Amino acid sequence: MILKQLKELIKKEMLILLRDRQTILLLFIMPVALILFLSLAMEGLWTDKLTGRKIQLVIENESNSFKANLLEEKIKSNEMIKHIVRPQGMNDDKIFADGKAHAVVTIPKGFDEGDNPVEIYFDPVIDAGYKIAARSLLTSLTVEVVMGIENLDAVVAGLVVEKTKPNKEFPTPLQQNVPAYAIFAMFFIAIPMSIGFLKEKKDGTLQRLFTYPVNTNLLILGKIIPYYLINILQFILMLLLGVYVMSHIISFSFNLGEHPWHMVPVTLVVAAATTGFGVLVASLARTPEQSSTLAATGAILMGVFGGIMIPHVLMPLFMKKLAMISPMYWSHQAYLDIILRDAAFGVILPKLIILTLFAGICFYIAGRRVKWI
Amino acid sequence: MNVLDISSVTFSYDLPKDKENSGGNQYALKNFSMFVENGKIHALLGPNGAGKTTLMRIITGQLRGYSGSASIYGNKMPDKETLKLIGYAPQPISVYTTLTAKENLRFFGSMAGLQQELIKERANEVLEKTGLSAYSSKPVSTYSGGMLRRLNLAVALLHLPKLLLLDEPTVGVDPQSRNHIYETLAGLNESGVTILLCTHIMEEAQRLCSHVTLVDQGKDIFSGDMKEIDNLEAFFLERTGKGLRDV
Repeated sequence: MILKQLKELIKKEMLILLRDRQTILLLFIMPVALILFLSLAMEGLWTDKLTGRKIQLVIENESNSFKANLLEEKIKSNEMIKHIVRPQGMNDDKIFADGKAHAVVTIPKGFDEGDNPVEIYFDPVIDAGYKIAARSLLTSLTVEVVMGIENLDAVVAGLVVEKTKPNKEFPTPLQQNVPAYAIFAMFFIAIPMSIGFLKEKKDGTLQRLFTYPVNTNLLILGKIIPYYLINILQFILMLLLGVYVMSHIISFSFNLGEHPWHMVPVTLVVAAATTGFGVLVASLARTPEQSSTLAATGAILMGVFGGIMIPHVLMPLFMKKLAMISPMYWSHQAYLDIILRDAAFGVILPKLIILTLFAGICFYIAGRRVKWI
Repeated sequence: MNVLDISSVTFSYDLPKDKENSGGNQYALKNFSMFVENGKIHALLGPNGAGKTTLMRIITGQLRGYSGSASIYGNKMPDKETLKLIGYAPQPISVYTTLTAKENLRFFGSMAGLQQELIKERANEVLEKTGLSAYSSKPVSTYSGGMLRRLNLAVALLHLPKLLLLDEPTVGVDPQSRNHIYETLAGLNESGVTILLCTHIMEEAQRLCSHVTLVDQGKDIFSGDMKEIDNLEAFFLERTGKGLRDV
C-alpha cells in the first residue's frame, strides 16, 4: 500500500508539473535558449582567444612577379589564413565595417626588387594580440619568400620549442554553457517546487492529505522525488542537446571526456542539492509570490557567483575565491572535471561531498522550519 | 453508541508573542465536549472563529497537541486506521484543479488505501451521486462553483466512510446544487452514514439535522435535540449574541 501511495503521489505531482506550460518553459525551454544564444555569443570570443580563428585576409597582388606570386600562394595556403576575395565595389573601410576581413595585404609593384614593402592594413578595431599574431605570421612568410627559405618554422625548430600543456582550464562555449545552464535550470526547480507546495497549503489539499492514512514521510518523498527526477531529466536532455544538436550549430565539438559515466553520480548529487534548495525555499516562503522571488534571486546570484554566467576561469582572483560559496560553482566544476580535465573520480569526490552537505543543510533547515498546516 | 466523543478538549494555536498577553482568548477550544450518535446528522454551529474548523482538524488528525479526548468509535485521534472510517470535506475546495475529477478521485482513493478496481467502481458511483459523470474527464479548473463543491463532497464519499465531516459544504453554490447536496446527504444518512455538519446556514441545519451543538469562543454552549428549537436562527443569536465577530 505504501508503494502504491508513493506512486500515486509522484504521478499526481508529475501531472500537475507537466500540465503547467510556464514550468515547462522555465525548466526546459529557458536553458535551451540560454545554451544556444550564449554559446553563439561567446563563439567569437572563444575562437579569437583560444583556438586561433583563421585570419581573414584580402590579398592584393599588384606585382604579379615571381616572388609576389609565391608570397601570395604561401599566404593563401597557410592553415592560419582564410583568403577573402574582395567583394565588388567595396573599399577597405567598408570591408572592415561589414566584418568581411581582418586585414588587407597589398603586395606592391617593385616587391621583387625590394623597392616597396608588403603593406598590411588592419581593421582598426582588431584585438591587439590578434594583430600581433597576424603581423608575425605575414612577416615570417615574407621572410621565407625574400630569403628563399622553404619553411622558416623548420629552421627555427631547434632554437625555439613550444612546451605548452594541453588546455585543461579553459572550456569551449559548449563545455562551459551546456553544464552551466543545465545546472542553472536545475536550481530553478525551486520555483515550481515551492509554489506547488505553498499552493497546496493555501487551497487546503495538503491539509486534506493529512486526513488520510498516509505517512508524513511518504508525503515528503512524494513531494521531493518528482522534482528530483525532473532535474535528472533536465540534465540528460541538455547533455543530449549539447552533444547531438548544439555541436552542429556551434563550431565547437562537445566531447564528454574520458570518463563520461562519472556524470551519473555527479548528476544524482547535483539534483539532490537543487531539490534541497527547492525544499528550503518552500519552507522559508509564506506565499507563492515570495517563493518565486526568493528562488529566482537565489538561483541568479548563485549563477553569477558560481561561474555560470561569467566563466570562472575569466574571473579575477577575489571572485574566484568568492565563487566557492555557490553550490553552482561546485556543481559546474565537477562537470568540467569530467568533460575538460578527464578527472578521476577521486578528484570529483570532494566536490560531491560539499554538494551533499549543502543538500543536507537545506533539508535540515527545511525540516525544522516547514509548517504543513 | 456514539460515533464521535469529544471530551474536555483544549487546544491553542501558537500565537505571536505580542498577542499572548493581549487579554483576548488565545484558545481555539477550551474544555469543549460533544458527542455524535450513530446514524444521526448532527449540526455544529457557531460564529466565525468559534472553533468549529479547529475541532474538525482535531477530529481528522490534522492537529495534534490538544488536551482532553477526541475519539471516533472509541479510538483516540489521531489514529491512522480510524481515518479510513472518516470522510472529510473541508470548507476550502480542496481538490487539484489541474487534474480531472477522475484523476482527483483516483489519487484520493489511493491515499485512502483503496484498490484500483474499487476506485474505478466507487468513482463512477460518487460521480453519479454528485451529478458530475458527464464532466469527469474535464480539468477541474473548468468547473463552476457548484460543481467544485460537489466534487469536494465526492472525494469525501469515495472510500465509503462511516462518519462524514462536512465543513460548510454548500458555501457559494446555487440553489440547485445546494438542493442536490441536501438530497445526497439525506440519502447517505438513510444508508447509515453518520454526518457532522458545520454550517452558517440555519435553514440547512434545521432541514437536515436531528441534533445540534453550539460552539462559541472555543466552548460548547448548547447541545441538544433540534426538535426542541423552533427558530434556529433566533436561538443562535440569543445564545451567541448579535455583536459582530471579526476574526
